[in-house]
Amino acid sequence: MDPTTLQGIAATNQWSAIGPELVLGCLALALLGLELVLPKRQHDLIPAFAILGLAGVLLAVLAGFHTVADAAEPPVLFGGLLQPDRFGQIMRVFFLLTGILVSVLGVVALAKQRVPRTEFFHLVLVITAALMLLVQSHHFVMLFVALETVTVGFYILVSYTRTNARSLEAGLKYLIMGSLSSGLLLFGIVLLYGAAGSPALPAHSATPMGFDELHAFLAANPGNFLSAVGIVLVLAGVAFKIGAVPFQIWIPDVYQGAPTPVTAFLAVGSKAAGFALLLKLAAVFAPYAPLVTAVLGVMAAATILFGNLAALGQTNVKRLIGLSGVSHAGYLLIGVIAALHGQPFAPGAVVFYLFGYLLASFAVFGVMTHVAGPDDADQPLSAYTGLGRSHPFLATVLAVGLGSLAGIPPLAGFMGKLLIFVAAFQARLYGLLAVAVVGVVISIYYYFGWIQAAFFQDPLCPATDEGRPARTPVGLVAGIVLGFLVAGSLLLGFYPGPALADLLGLR
Amino acid sequence: MSALLFNFLAVFIVACAAGVVLNRNAVASALCLLLSLVGVAGLFVQLDAFLLAALLVFVYAGAVVALFLFIIMLLDMQGGDRKPFTGLTLAAGTLAFLLLAGGVFSFAAHARLPATPAPAQAAGASLQNYAELLFTTYLLPVEVVGFLLLIAMLGVIVLSKKFEPELEPGAGSQKPDVRSQMSDAGNRKPEGSQEIPNHP
Repeated sequence: MDPTTLQGIAATNQWSAIGPELVLGCLALALLGLELVLPKRQHDLIPAFAILGLAGVLLAVLAGFHTVADAAEPPVLFGGLLQPDRFGQIMRVFFLLTGILVSVLGVVALAKQRVPRTEFFHLVLVITAALMLLVQSHHFVMLFVALETVTVGFYILVSYTRTNARSLEAGLKYLIMGSLSSGLLLFGIVLLYGAAGSPALPAHSATPMGFDELHAFLAANPGNFLSAVGIVLVLAGVAFKIGAVPFQIWIPDVYQGAPTPVTAFLAVGSKAAGFALLLKLAAVFAPYAPLVTAVLGVMAAATILFGNLAALGQTNVKRLIGLSGVSHAGYLLIGVIAALHGQPFAPGAVVFYLFGYLLASFAVFGVMTHVAGPDDADQPLSAYTGLGRSHPFLATVLAVGLGSLAGIPPLAGFMGKLLIFVAAFQARLYGLLAVAVVGVVISIYYYFGWIQAAFFQDPLCPATDEGRPARTPVGLVAGIVLGFLVAGSLLLGFYPGPALADLLGLR
Repeated sequence: MSALLFNFLAVFIVACAAGVVLNRNAVASALCLLLSLVGVAGLFVQLDAFLLAALLVFVYAGAVVALFLFIIMLLDMQGGDRKPFTGLTLAAGTLAFLLLAGGVFSFAAHARLPATPAPAQAAGASLQNYAELLFTTYLLPVEVVGFLLLIAMLGVIVLSKKFEPELEPGAGSQKPDVRSQMSDAGNRKPEGSQEIPNHP
């Protein structure tokens, strides 16, 4: 092959289109360089460098938001591997916010541990960049490579506090379950590739891993057995990432053992990536909508019931928040099913819910980071007694976060649930809707049990006050960030108009 | 001829895979895995995917299984008096086997693709075809894989190196955690841990 042909093939490799991801990658390398160059006393600058870099990239993405999002025809980049569109831009903003918040929590949490610092922020940057590529991918090869980069990064982050036995246990469990889910996903992709690449079938393609080609093939071959098995396996692989029943078994142990900022990253970033993938794949698998709806419908109902019922008896707040996160995955699955039924605003509702979940979850995880002692895995509910009296600011943030997660009216979580339920109602998913309402009612019990522990239990009782680890005082940056999260939850709840208008124009 | 060879390789691979599970000796299990991988490489040769066959032998049979052997010897896990099957694993295994058999049966019944003439040359057949694809269409994933390998390497260092902070951290060091000291003692493998990197 001569050079001009090669140039022709590579003509769509426009690196400027993935500028934010490139900057993050270079920043991650620069952090490692800085650690070598800077004197030891100034190593505290490295996290600040990472957070400022993320914020700068976020501003740049926001500044260029409309040039990409409002393009009439999404451009084909890297030979069809990437397709940046409005949805991709919104999720890029989402993951950059997640990266900033995880880094801020990381600064607070790592101060209590004897672990290396720089590598944590390096990994957060690389994972953020990979997540951003993942949601723009339009091809199974790109999807898988980006997803594996995210997953490998999480293997390390989960077992990051390696002197803690629970963290190592969590890392091992996540490694095994994650490899299994990657294997399922890969097997599904291979079956789809084999079916869509078979020259004897109509609408077969030479590049069957591209989403457009696969969609055309599936539309031309309804009822192909191999494709159906492939679709179910791909959905199973993604269900592992979002923690939907029956692929939720890793959640409580991994969430408990991982350092709190990493738990937050898993709960918000990894879950949002799974749902972004599901929304993309739901569009690709649309010709097999009855199959996909049946699989996701059963999963959603089981996920909501399991998550809420299992969270009822938890006394460790990390396990509690993990299992409640399972139930949130169930509500979001209902939104995905509504999108499959052709509800035009259902994808926007899912993304709005994810943003509400981001604000509320990080508020709660932020408080958890401050209340936790040196042993990060051991965070009993009793450690929160009297928080309202000793730390009114933290307790308020906690109450707003938990209220939003429970779906209490003036907060963002309520609007998110309302939108998803309206979409489900219009899609005539009455059975799922009933299950979801039951789930919400159950969830109020354990969320308010936590709030009750913080505000209404006797703070002067010496028995509970004795063995409790010292609470970290809230620093300036962390205080501003927590305040921003509360304000965001309130703003999205009271006045969701502009954000909704932007999101509902998704399709 | 090719059908005969395929059948022979298929039986060989399954027999070796069964050997991995059934052997009591971990070293023998690893060697069975190696033979099974060689059999899979033989299947790739039958499909004219010589490059993949060679890579499989180099990377998996050569490096990965050798690493397994190193780890087995380091941890001294040979033999052991644990039974390979307890009642629970036997039940789970039987259930998994039945599910797998059902899956294979429904595949054989429903998933028959119409026969097609083999394509002229698959992308995996020659190094040149492979390289051209990697450096044009799939350039971006290759770059991302570079980062994946970087963080994997970084992770190995972070998780295996003993960290000694130069500056005293505030809260963490006041109350030494008994469990963390114990797990530190458990992780200490002074001479042995230096042997792994020497492997090519």
